[in-house]
Formats: sequence, structure tokens, C-alpha cells
Amino acid sequence: MDISWWQILLLTLYAGYQILDELEINSSAGSAVFAGFITGLIMGDVKAGLLIGGSMQLTILGVGTFGGASRIDANSGTVLATAFSVAVGMKPTQAIAAIAVPVASLMIQTDILARFTNTFFAHRIDKNIEDFNYSAINRNFLLGNIPWALSRQIPVFLALAFGGGLVTKVVNYLNTDLKWLGDGLSVAGAVLPAVGFAILLRYLPVKKHFPYLILGFTLTALLSTIFTSIQTLGTGLQGVAKDFSSTFNSLPMLAIALIGFGLAAISYKKDITQNNGGSGSSGSNSSSEKQEDSQQNDNDEGEIEDDEL
Amino acid sequence: MTNSNENQRYQLTEKDFKQINRRSLFLFQSGWNYERMQNTGYLYLILPQLRKIYGDGTPELKQAMKTHVQFFNTSNFFNTIITGIDLALEEKQGSESLDAVAGLKAGLLGPFAAIGDSLFAALVPTIFGAIAANMAISGNPTGLFIWILANIFIMIFRWKQLKFAYKEGVNLVTTMQNQMNALTDAATLLGVFMVGALIATMINVHIGWKPMIGKVPLDIQNTIDMMMPKLLPAAIVGIIYWMLGKKNMTSTRAIFIVLIVSVALSALGVIAQ
Repeated sequence: MDISWWQILLLTLYAGYQILDELEINSSAGSAVFAGFITGLIMGDVKAGLLIGGSMQLTILGVGTFGGASRIDANSGTVLATAFSVAVGMKPTQAIAAIAVPVASLMIQTDILARFTNTFFAHRIDKNIEDFNYSAINRNFLLGNIPWALSRQIPVFLALAFGGGLVTKVVNYLNTDLKWLGDGLSVAGAVLPAVGFAILLRYLPVKKHFPYLILGFTLTALLSTIFTSIQTLGTGLQGVAKDFSSTFNSLPMLAIALIGFGLAAISYKKDITQNNGGSGSSGSNSSSEKQEDSQQNDNDEGEIEDDEL
Repeated sequence: MTNSNENQRYQLTEKDFKQINRRSLFLFQSGWNYERMQNTGYLYLILPQLRKIYGDGTPELKQAMKTHVQFFNTSNFFNTIITGIDLALEEKQGSESLDAVAGLKAGLLGPFAAIGDSLFAALVPTIFGAIAANMAISGNPTGLFIWILANIFIMIFRWKQLKFAYKEGVNLVTTMQNQMNALTDAATLLGVFMVGALIATMINVHIGWKPMIGKVPLDIQNTIDMMMPKLLPAAIVGIIYWMLGKKNMTSTRAIFIVLIVSVALSALGVIAQ
């Protein structure tokens, strides 16, 4: 199945929109899950899109736009991986490691290009200020949207329009001669979220809150094992006993999040009453100490850059 | 003389707040550039109001525009708090306040970037992104819509903070500091908890290697499960965490190292999906 022109058009438009959404309004239409969802919708396989988008979302979990640094563009990666996965019939888990991740990291370069181009507009605005040219200030500012959008649209368009043949060839190899590599890429796709979690832990004051890391992990590990076992049990039972009908769901993450929210609320209330209880000066002292504490934590945990710069 | 000047000075209206908020939500970072980052964005947001406060073509306006086109970079979820405090000052004191405003901007952009990043760039995507991703991987888009809903609440919050900061002025920073500290603390706690939960659910690999002991194959994965389920994912995250602390390690490099090592270990049959 080929990717038809209207699919390329829609995906290119989305590729430009997603970066602007992420920069400005932040509706989560600029997230990898959404990229997978919308691409799946356009390509006619929402499930594959959601799987790829969901995995990419987890992989970049900790890679926020800290300090405006360039970062890998998981959304464009998801768009291309989903489009080719559906069009060529590549396994979604393979597409994550084989297409989404390499594309996402290549896109750092175009991101840097966009940010450089906007320096040019910033200089024009400096000049406009001297001339009191208000409409030119507005215009030169708004023109900045174009490098942003094009930095995503051009690569996505080129890949969709001309990359199909190459991807088909690669997929053929992965399913025949290089099966070990194909399987390996699937496994890599399953491991990649671990990077996202590790990066996130680097940013969070993990030394201060480590008991909660253990709690979250253990609670969930136990519960998910129980839920999975019951699911397996139930499905097995359904095969044996015909009149046994009941559905089993997997562990709902929202429930786990609510437990975490409860713990966070307890800590917040304790902090607030402590600060209010003490006299004004001691309250501010403890808070500044805390700030120092967390800053030290940040330093302790080493520094990683979001990008190659 | 000064008194009459102050009386003539422009007072911000509801319409002004709406305009700034619209620009902030939809266009604040369009001009992001390497040299001075959000500088043009900050100016663009309040340019119409600056013109009303100082009057078109006046030297004061030029001075103000030049002040606001200096380096600026903060969280785009908190930027209008700084704008609000700034405008409260400029509206009252005019161009005399510009030195103070420049100091205020430089002083506040760091702290708000830190809080904004930990709350909105790390925590919200962790919780809602994780829920969305978790459901998405099993083919269900509901989690995505929950996330969108959460973001709509955040937009409302971003909309309200400008006027709030404008009214409270400089006092805001001192009165809110305790609360913000407690909030950031609680938020990071929740973040750490959720990462623990995610490690236990979202990394679906197991040990595929089954060495023979005599004639009995040893099921390593089962042995591990008897001690503590999900120990392998925890170990993987631990190793990557350690790796990220090394010099010259970037997140992109880490992703590729993990990709290559995973393919190799899978080819050797050590880990499997």
C-alpha cells in the first residue's frame, strides 16, 4: 500500500502544527501520543499509531524543553514511523527503533536551524525599534513561526514522498536475512522507555524522595503481577467453562497516580503547616534551607544536556 | 508637575489583559532564537500596552522597547506572572521604573523557569503522558483525552495569572514563596513515585537466557520473579541512570547506546520481549 497524496499533505500540515502547539498553547496535540493517534487516524490504523506514539512518549518522558535547548523530536519520528509501519506493513515495535528514534534525533539539526533563523528576525526587530516601526516589529516576530513550522514540514514531506521505496527494502531484509536485527529492534523498542525514566530521575530530586520511588515501584510491580495473573487465569477459565463470562482489565495507571497524589498531598499539607506554625523568620529560614537542599541535589546528580550542543 | 503626569498615565483595562493573554497563549515563543531566546516574544506581548503607557514615538517608548528586547527566557507557563508585575510597575512609575523592571525580569526568570520546568515540563507530562501512553499502547486513546482536559485547566491557569500578578505586584514573590516551595516539593514527590510505578509497568522485557544445569534448564526469569517481580526493568533503569551521570553523556547518545546494546543482547538471546 502506498501513501497517497492527501495523506502526505495532512501529515505534513500536522508536522508543522505540532511544534507550534508544543511551543505555545500546549494542548498536548504536540505530544508523541497525539502524533501517533492522528497519524494512525490518517493512515487508517489507529492501534499501530497509538502503540508507536505511546512508546515514544515514554522514551522522551524526561526530555523536556529545559532552558529552551533543542531536543529529539519524537513527534516527527512518530509520524514517519507510523506512516511507514502502516503503509509498508512493518511491525510497529520494529518501527519504533528502526524509524522513530533515528528520525527523531536527526530532527535536532533542523530544530537548531530554526532557532538560528529566528536570530535574524530578532536583529531586524532591533532595527525596527530604532525606527518606531511597530507593524514591522509585529511582522518580524510573527515571521518566526515559519522557520519553526518548516523545520518539521520539509523533512517529513521529503521522507513521506520519497522514502517509501527505501523503507520497503529495509523491511524485506529485516524479515528475512536480518531477522536477528529485526527482532533486536523490537526488543530495543521495548527497552527504550527506560531511558525516558532514567532521564526524568536525573531531573527530579530523587535522593530526597527515594522512599517514594521504592513505594511506587513495589506497589505497582506487585499489583501489576496480580492483575496480569488474574487476566491470564480468567482467559484460561473462559476457554474451559463456557458459561463463565467476565472481563478482566489490566492495572489502571490512574489508580496508581491517585495513590501517589495522596502521598504528595500529605507532604504538601505537612510543609504548609510547618511553615505557618513557626515564626516568620524561622519559616523563611527553613524554606531557604530547603531551596539550597534541592539545589545541592541538582548539582549532586550531575548534569546532562538535552542536546548535542 | 509629576503629579499631573501620573494622573494622565494610562491604566490597563480588561481588554489589555485579554490581548496580552491571547498573545501569550498562542504566540509567545514564535520568535525564540539562540541569541536572546524569548526576548522578542516578551516585547511582542506587551508592545500595544507600552505604546499606550508611553505614547507613540516618544524617547521613553524607545527606551522601554530596548529594555524589553534584552535576553529573556523563562517557563512559558509562568511568563505572564513576570509580565504582570512588570506592567504594574511601569504603569505607575513610567520610564523611571525601567531599571527596576530590567532587574526584576533578570531576577525572576530563573526561579520561574525552574518551577515551571519541574511542574509543567517534567511532572504533568510524566503523569498524564504516562497514563496516555499506557492506555495508548493497549490501543485505547482515552488517556490522551484526559491529558488534553488537564491541559485545558492549565491554559485557564495561565490565563488568570497575569491579572493576579498585576494586582499583587512585587509582594507576590515573597508571599508565594513558601507555598511554591511546598508545591514544588509535593509535585516532585509525585513525579518520583510515578516514575517508580512506570518502571514496574512500561518496560516489557524479560530474560530469555535459560542455561542448562546438568539436564535441567534454569529459568532465570522465574527465579527473579520469586524474589521480586520486575527486577530486570529496575536494573535497566538503574544502569541508564548511572550512565547518564557520566561526562559527555547526552540523552540522545544514551538513547542510541541503549538501542545498540538492546539489539546486541537480543541477538545473543539474553533478553527477549
